[in-house]
Amino acid sequence: MHKALLRQTALSLTLALGASLANADTLRVTVAEYSSKTGPYFEEAATAFEKSNPDTDVQIEVVPWDVLLQKLTTDISGNANADLSIIGTRWLLDFVQEGLAAPLDDYMDDAFKERFFDVFLSPSVMDDQTYGLPVAASARAMYYNKDLFEQAGIDTVPQTWQELSAAAQKISALGDDIAGFGLQGKEIETDVYFYYALWAYGGQLIDDDGTSGLDSDAGYQAAELYKSLIDANATQPGVTSYSREDVQNLFKQGKVGMMITAPFLSNQIRDEAPDLQYGVTAIPAGPDGDRGTYGVTDSIIMFENSKVKDTAWKFLDMLFTTEWREKFTAGEGFLPVNQEVAATPAFADNADLKEFTALLPDARFAPVITGWEEIAAKTSDAVQRIYLGDADIKESLDDAAASINDILDN
Amino acid sequence: MSRSNSLVPYLLVLPGFLLASFIILWPIYQLGLISVSDVNRFGMLKGFAGAANFAAVLADPEFLGALWRTAIWTIGIVGGTLVVAFPVALILNQEFYGRALARIIIMLPWAISLTMTAIVWRWALNGESGMLNSALRSLGLIDTNIQWLAQASTAFPVQIVIGILVTVPFTVTIFLGGLSSIADDLYEAARLEGSSHWQTFRRITLPLMSPFVNIAIVLNTIYVFNSFPIIWATTQGGPANSTDILVTYLYKLGFRFGKLGEASALSLMMFVLLLAFTLLYVFMTSRMAKR
Repeated sequence: MHKALLRQTALSLTLALGASLANADTLRVTVAEYSSKTGPYFEEAATAFEKSNPDTDVQIEVVPWDVLLQKLTTDISGNANADLSIIGTRWLLDFVQEGLAAPLDDYMDDAFKERFFDVFLSPSVMDDQTYGLPVAASARAMYYNKDLFEQAGIDTVPQTWQELSAAAQKISALGDDIAGFGLQGKEIETDVYFYYALWAYGGQLIDDDGTSGLDSDAGYQAAELYKSLIDANATQPGVTSYSREDVQNLFKQGKVGMMITAPFLSNQIRDEAPDLQYGVTAIPAGPDGDRGTYGVTDSIIMFENSKVKDTAWKFLDMLFTTEWREKFTAGEGFLPVNQEVAATPAFADNADLKEFTALLPDARFAPVITGWEEIAAKTSDAVQRIYLGDADIKESLDDAAASINDILDN
Repeated sequence: MSRSNSLVPYLLVLPGFLLASFIILWPIYQLGLISVSDVNRFGMLKGFAGAANFAAVLADPEFLGALWRTAIWTIGIVGGTLVVAFPVALILNQEFYGRALARIIIMLPWAISLTMTAIVWRWALNGESGMLNSALRSLGLIDTNIQWLAQASTAFPVQIVIGILVTVPFTVTIFLGGLSSIADDLYEAARLEGSSHWQTFRRITLPLMSPFVNIAIVLNTIYVFNSFPIIWATTQGGPANSTDILVTYLYKLGFRFGKLGEASALSLMMFVLLLAFTLLYVFMTSRMAKR
């Protein structure tokens, strides 16, 4: 009798304890703030998830993009990282090498994999293991101002850099505060703006022999092209003081004829400069028809030290359903990574996005190597010196290539 | 009895000392540990590296450039602030109508976060749509827009001027405190003796203000040497690292390139430099207290 009571008490105690443990199931997610819509989106997703999983408490930590890597570094070194985090896919190798990212293949079935476009999922695959899911995808294309084209009497949109150069000079001649080609020369992606020309001339970031591709004929020609545009006043003055956002602002103000940037500029124009007559077209090709756009994905990874991996996966599974992806992708102005999302009218009928997706076969992603950020910085420094006229083109690129090769050797 | 008495002061100091060690000494210990370790980009220690991190920092050509610019930056701002703040403090120390308002206006920049000030300046310095260019144009001083942040030859001086502007309020506060501590009888006596304004300034104000000037120099040096937001918000040390000072270079090293070992070594070196200044500060305040 007593024994039975005791057992019952013990049982109910265990149950209560179990329930409280399950209640304590906290899922922490670090997300990058792409726009003011990012935070509310993930909070909404967290609330929806908590509703269907009442035992889980989802905590969303929204971090500005610029300090994301810094926060992750600090969190990881203090062993206080979240369970899931958005990262730049170009950092993924570091996470995998240090054993921080958990492989996801055991959770994924073929049906799940088929939700994605392969071009966006493949950068997160290393050694046949999938370590991240593409949460944001983007490519670059050329925006052009139709009104300025008309005023300058240009009928055809430039298809090659040669044509672009001629068009840019005509547009620049329209006025002192009008520039033909918006050239970015400051801060994040200054190097990428140079790669567009490098790729068009047939160059590569890393040559087949594993050394830097800057000290090549393609590199010199690309730099000469940009420098000649600057010298001919075909760009905005003082390119080294213009970040990507600064050039985008000039474009929105109707002061720049052409610029290369990401799909989200379309959303910004829609909201801030709805009267601007613009078009989106492919990045110009080089003399041999080569062209390349920059493909970027951010991945969401699961940390190896997470204690709630199953819950974390359930949350990922929800995020990558068509419904939630559509909401996110449309809000932020990214390219759809889910096949079904791409087929929805919002994306399938969007003329701007079609130009971007058409470029995807030419998309090049940042090479998967450690130390990429430093290599990008060396490249930016070198092209800035060239844009300023402080250094000889060949000398500057050769120097940069030499220090990049040192980084690659390490 | 006497033995326990001699222990009491130490016991009373102990909690404060422990707290201070936790806040100050522990991070320095960590920094020292990382700086002599082989460390991955996520701050995980992988073994002992000796002086390799220090050697790597010293061998980096960007380090010497940044060190040199830090010297110009610090001397430029601290010196410039002194030149601006001293006359301002003298004027604000006079009795005149609206002095309270003038004092508030001088102090106001202090109330705004440094980063915010720097970002506003970034907009103002924009070549095409910046307020500075449009102001200069409407005054007829320039014909074509100046791209202030495009090259170091214009960007760095402008950054130093911004630095001076934001350092002036604090310095004026110190000077006003100093000026009000000079007894009025001294000036009265000097006037009775028939001394001129210049003589009064030269023989009374300046010598009695010297401890305050010294303190302002040391404190400003410490703040300015480590000041990150102005340069980071306007140029991020660019173009091509030509406006980098040690602290912006440190940030790139640590959080962009993930070289936490080298970054720790560099920040230790910077700490030692600043420690020298702090000791100077302690020495000066104790000398002033003796007077």
